[in-house]
Amino acid sequence: MNEHVLDELEAYALGALDRADAERVAEHLGVCASCRSDAAALAEVVGTLPETVTPREPRPALRDRIIAAARTGLSQPAHAPSRRWSFGAARLSRVAFAGLFAAIIVLGAADIDAYQRTMAITAERDDLSGLVESMRQGSREWYMAGKDAFARAGGTLYDPRADGKQPFVLFHDLPSIPAGKVLTIWLVSPDSTWARAATFQPNGKDIQAVRINMEVSGFDRCAVTLEDSSWGPRYGAVVMESRIAPPTTP
Amino acid sequence: MPEQQPPDDALLAALAARDLGALATLYDRYGRLAYSLAYRILGEGEAAEDVVQDAFLSAWRGAGSYRRDRGNPRAWLLSIVHHRAVDILRRKTTFRPAPLEMAESQPSEDDTALAAEKNVEHRTVREALEALPQAQRRTIELAYFGGYTHVELSELMGVPLGTVKGRMRIGLQKMRRALERSR
Repeated sequence: MNEHVLDELEAYALGALDRADAERVAEHLGVCASCRSDAAALAEVVGTLPETVTPREPRPALRDRIIAAARTGLSQPAHAPSRRWSFGAARLSRVAFAGLFAAIIVLGAADIDAYQRTMAITAERDDLSGLVESMRQGSREWYMAGKDAFARAGGTLYDPRADGKQPFVLFHDLPSIPAGKVLTIWLVSPDSTWARAATFQPNGKDIQAVRINMEVSGFDRCAVTLEDSSWGPRYGAVVMESRIAPPTTP
Repeated sequence: MPEQQPPDDALLAALAARDLGALATLYDRYGRLAYSLAYRILGEGEAAEDVVQDAFLSAWRGAGSYRRDRGNPRAWLLSIVHHRAVDILRRKTTFRPAPLEMAESQPSEDDTALAAEKNVEHRTVREALEALPQAQRRTIELAYFGGYTHVELSELMGVPLGTVKGRMRIGLQKMRRALERSR
């Protein structure tokens, strides 16, 4: 796109373009040094506007929350790569840990009649093996029951006890979701702070596992919401949730 | 002798190297301003804190891809805060233009009237904004703090789109000149 966007640079700097127009302008700025220079000058002026706002103090806990979130895994990519697989019509829920072993056996004995299928199943089995391995020292687990359109679905949050092993959620029977929507897994702290743990889309299979990028400790609830955006605070409806029991004291 | 603070660019470089201390310093430097901006846009403390958390973690994750030619680190961080707060505001309200009186009754006037006067830069910016003719100032404030697009502002204010663009352009030009004069 080579047409200059001078007519829209002020609105762009003020954030007063709709998404499509803003993307079009941003695309042009990527290739036009002249407009980019003008946009930078405008951004500098607009960047002073926050100085006109009444200063307000956030709660002191916000600082700790941010540092803790950065420390406990949000330094990794925002969108956790989800590991997905399917193995027939099996349904896993609260007993999924035992089921995983059974699934591996099923996979091992599957009727593999093509090389590609063999490779695909091997990859899925490797995924399963990785999860099973992560739980060799046991895990804590909580089942989230689906609501409304997700009433037949559910997900179990697994928190492996072994050090350094990543928590994950094993979903079953996730329905398809509207185009442009995403599902987000949240961990909720006792002060009702919602921390985004992973964002994903249903893969259309009966079982789907999604690893999450945060430690579970310190949170007392987990939930899944249907969102319009893969970033930002929670806004969408809760489609499943569960309380997270605190660690048992000896 | 006061301890010398690292410049913003150095902080972002440290963030890219996963230095949590740099993140804490960046928060100490801009957390309050970021929160004030988010609160001004959303009018609600909890949502504002969520936006600030999201913005700082976004900076933490994206510091490696930060480019100086897109603005200084402070402006970059605040633009993330602004973008996310406005995005939430727009989704929250389904964004049908409200009557102008209603939009103006939002906290803008009171908030800006109480802007910090202790700092020369704050005062300069405030004075530059206040010096604008009311229509230009209102357009800029409703766009930036109210989250209205220029098309919505055209409907809201009952003026052609070109007029809205013109008010933005001239208003920002005047502010720029005023800020340059003060340096």
